[in-house]
Amino acid sequence: MSLGTAIAQALLLVLGAPLVRGTIALLKARLQRRRGASIWRPYADLFKLFRKEELVPPTSSFIFRAAPAVLFAATVCAAAFIPVLRPSALLAARGDFFLLIYLLALARFFLSLGALDGGSAFGGMGASREALVSSLAEAPLLLGLAAVAILARRADLAGMVAWTLGQNVFDISAVHILAFTALAMVTLAETGRMPVDNPTTHLELTMIHEGMVLEYSGPSLALVEWAAAVKLHLMLALLIALFCPWGMAVGNAGWGIAPAALLYILKLGILMGVVSVIESAVAKLRMYLVPDFLGVASAVSALAVIFTVLVKR
Amino acid sequence: MHMGASGAAFAFLLAVLGLVVPLLLLAGRRTATQRLALVLLLAAVSAGCAAGAAGFFGETTPALDFSRATPFRFLLAVDRLSAFFLLLICAVAIPVTLFAVSYFERHQAEPRRRWTWVFFSWFLLSMIVVVTAATGFAFLIGWELMTLVSAGLILIEGDAEERRHNVFIYLLMMHAGAAAVLAAFLLFLPVSHTLDLDAMRAAGMALPAGVRAAIFLTAFAGFGTKAGLIPLHLWLPRAHPIAPSPVSALMSGIMLKTAVYGFVRFAFDLLGGGPWWGGYAVLAVAAVTGVLGILYALAEDDLKRLLAYSSVENIGIIFLGLGAALVFAAHHAATAAALALAAALFHAWNHGFFKSLLFLGAGAIADGAHSVNLNELGGLGRRMPWTAAAMLAGSCAIAGLPLTNGFVSEWLMFRSFLAGSALYATKAQVILPLLVGILGFMGGLAAACFVKAHGTAFLGRPRSAGAEHAEEAPLVMRAGLWLLAAGCLLFGIFPGLVLRPLVALAGALLPGAGVPEETVSIAHILPWVGAAVAAISLAALLLKRRTRPARTWACGLPALSSRMQYTSTVFSKPIRFVFARVYRPDRKVERLPVDTPYFPISILYRSVRTTSFEKSLYRPFVDGVVWMARGLRRMQTGNIQVYLLYIFLALVSLLALLRFQQ
Repeated sequence: MSLGTAIAQALLLVLGAPLVRGTIALLKARLQRRRGASIWRPYADLFKLFRKEELVPPTSSFIFRAAPAVLFAATVCAAAFIPVLRPSALLAARGDFFLLIYLLALARFFLSLGALDGGSAFGGMGASREALVSSLAEAPLLLGLAAVAILARRADLAGMVAWTLGQNVFDISAVHILAFTALAMVTLAETGRMPVDNPTTHLELTMIHEGMVLEYSGPSLALVEWAAAVKLHLMLALLIALFCPWGMAVGNAGWGIAPAALLYILKLGILMGVVSVIESAVAKLRMYLVPDFLGVASAVSALAVIFTVLVKR
Repeated sequence: MHMGASGAAFAFLLAVLGLVVPLLLLAGRRTATQRLALVLLLAAVSAGCAAGAAGFFGETTPALDFSRATPFRFLLAVDRLSAFFLLLICAVAIPVTLFAVSYFERHQAEPRRRWTWVFFSWFLLSMIVVVTAATGFAFLIGWELMTLVSAGLILIEGDAEERRHNVFIYLLMMHAGAAAVLAAFLLFLPVSHTLDLDAMRAAGMALPAGVRAAIFLTAFAGFGTKAGLIPLHLWLPRAHPIAPSPVSALMSGIMLKTAVYGFVRFAFDLLGGGPWWGGYAVLAVAAVTGVLGILYALAEDDLKRLLAYSSVENIGIIFLGLGAALVFAAHHAATAAALALAAALFHAWNHGFFKSLLFLGAGAIADGAHSVNLNELGGLGRRMPWTAAAMLAGSCAIAGLPLTNGFVSEWLMFRSFLAGSALYATKAQVILPLLVGILGFMGGLAAACFVKAHGTAFLGRPRSAGAEHAEEAPLVMRAGLWLLAAGCLLFGIFPGLVLRPLVALAGALLPGAGVPEETVSIAHILPWVGAAVAAISLAALLLKRRTRPARTWACGLPALSSRMQYTSTVFSKPIRFVFARVYRPDRKVERLPVDTPYFPISILYRSVRTTSFEKSLYRPFVDGVVWMARGLRRMQTGNIQVYLLYIFLALVSLLALLRFQQ
């Protein structure tokens, strides 16, 4: 694949991310019979935040300013792993899914540190809850991806997607269904969506991600919000690439890109619709029910790995 | 005899650590002599690095023979495996020594400091003897010396009742472990006839299967005690935190690795792989060790205890790799076994760097802020920026985050577990890939643990006067910290430096192993990822922006105080709540006065976490021993005639035994 397409793919994930957020917000508004803001609204927000003055707590250290930068950088790097239009990506050939997941962990580590550096109660609260959710989400995330990797006999995302592309749609196995279930559940938890976290709340009883970013303002907040949007987009794109890649442009011909892009937007639209229906229909789980939710995801992903023994021939 | 440059360097190392430094320190009265001793110590350790590196990259040196000076055969030799550990010990010892120069000067008065340095030097020597011993006698001498000298280093700081009790437990468990190690050596004797490692290696394959299994188990128990595998870890969180910080760094960073060395030497080199179930047994123990270790670490508020429990976790990770390597070897997948073994050894290497760094950092905090209780720290990042930055590198590394060395070894381990799915045995096909989840779970908890440790110590507002007026560590201490931090980053971005020779070492231990493709690919991708993350972060940091300091909104109160921040205890509460079954805390609430429950004057709340092992595993055992001792006491009448009778009976039974044997 040409370097140009690979870069375009990564840019699509990064630059298109606010649009994904805006669309989900609009879909949710419509489901709740509100008019809702334009889908371009997140871009306007980012533009506004980048120009605003930044308020810094006087007790904070260098980490407070560095954290959003590292968070953004690690998330953007992670986006360069995801095959979107073709079964390849900038870093997908040599880097595997473990590196992808651990880049996201690096991002989260710094976000949590930044939250603690604010010196207020809310930052610590958000970081502490995030620590619980993320440490429980790690295992199902890795196991779900490992199950697919075992079937594909590859650990690099390009190879895994290429293998799935070579399969018949009707050959989908139990492993795929289980792994998809687990990964979809984890995606909701990892990206701070319902029923694990409410992305629109500022109520101290319930917030996790919003608690961590409460002290940020101006360009730093813009980076944090953008990174959160990129993470949501890349997790959705990962689900599409792993479990429904059919329609991606294969081979060297350039003309396959356009239908691939159209199909990608369609698949993404469906996923966004599902997310907004869940967010409108489901109540947020009580904090200490989240381990049960992720426990189910862990069990399902472990089953996916165990079933690979039966499916692999 | 031709020794070669590295042989000479190794001999220089032994002579300086064993004799020259102690003599200079104890005989010399002038400060200049003392200085000379420390410079010589550093020079010797650097020479040790050179000798280790040469051996690690494949140069062989002849054995040093001390048999004439000792009653048994005493040979020291540096083969590739020994050289790797020799290099690790010496490479970590340099920054630790630098740090210790300043630390001991500030913390210990003169006559005592002298002895501290003598013990320090002998402690290094004993570990070097252990990893280079070519005879059983040399190994056991080094092993025993290592325990005793480190106990001495702990007691030098004071001998209060509690400290003595902890050291007692340390010594007791170490000797039990040493007995198991000795048994593992002696079991070779019927076939090998000597305790030379070469003879034992030759005998390894000729041993009957039952004896091989017995050797494997005794070695696993013996070295597992030293390594701190659960449930044999009881001494570790007691002994490591009470030692002076540089000594804790040596104990956690490299002394635990001598146990890893011993197990690798026995299981892979001497036995050539254990029984078929050996790998699974190691995996089971290691998984429990890792998960419980990090859960216990998360619950700790004392930074040094937290680090000690995290060492238990990391030993679990290392043994997960060793177990996987044994499973692969048992299924004749030599290349996959080499990958798992390289991952385990590389993690041992990395843990040597980041755990020493973190323990030294804890020392710098204790020095600057006069506490290592996380609930009394906070905001140190502004007062001690250099220490904070070095500790951040260490925290990222121990959490296994990319661009640090901890990530690379965990990544290799993940990939080797995944490779388990390609084996032709259903058991391995299921168990090994599932370990991906367990290691991932441990990684998530480790990240949470070190967000807590770093965040509550260095970020936010100070929680005590000590933290508020903390002072940055002196330059020499910082130099030690930064050398280790640089190592964490260097091997995290360019892991090929160590991985290439390490794969050759793993290949030498596992006949038929090729070069695992993973060890090459990770070395290719990481510099690019590192460059990308660094470039994008820098660009984001350099964004044009106007900043203004502004007080955080305090929900309408006059101002936020440090008491409103999350403490370390609270930070870990959600996880402790979810895993309450693991912790089983002993809670005590005392209200005063007792008769007015609604208007108490004071409430005392105490929550002590007793590890269930002490209650359910060790207590019955200790009670049993005491009961037996009581029973035996009845034989001690104090009456001389009875003792004469005992001697007479013993003599008669021995004569009878001899008679029957003939």
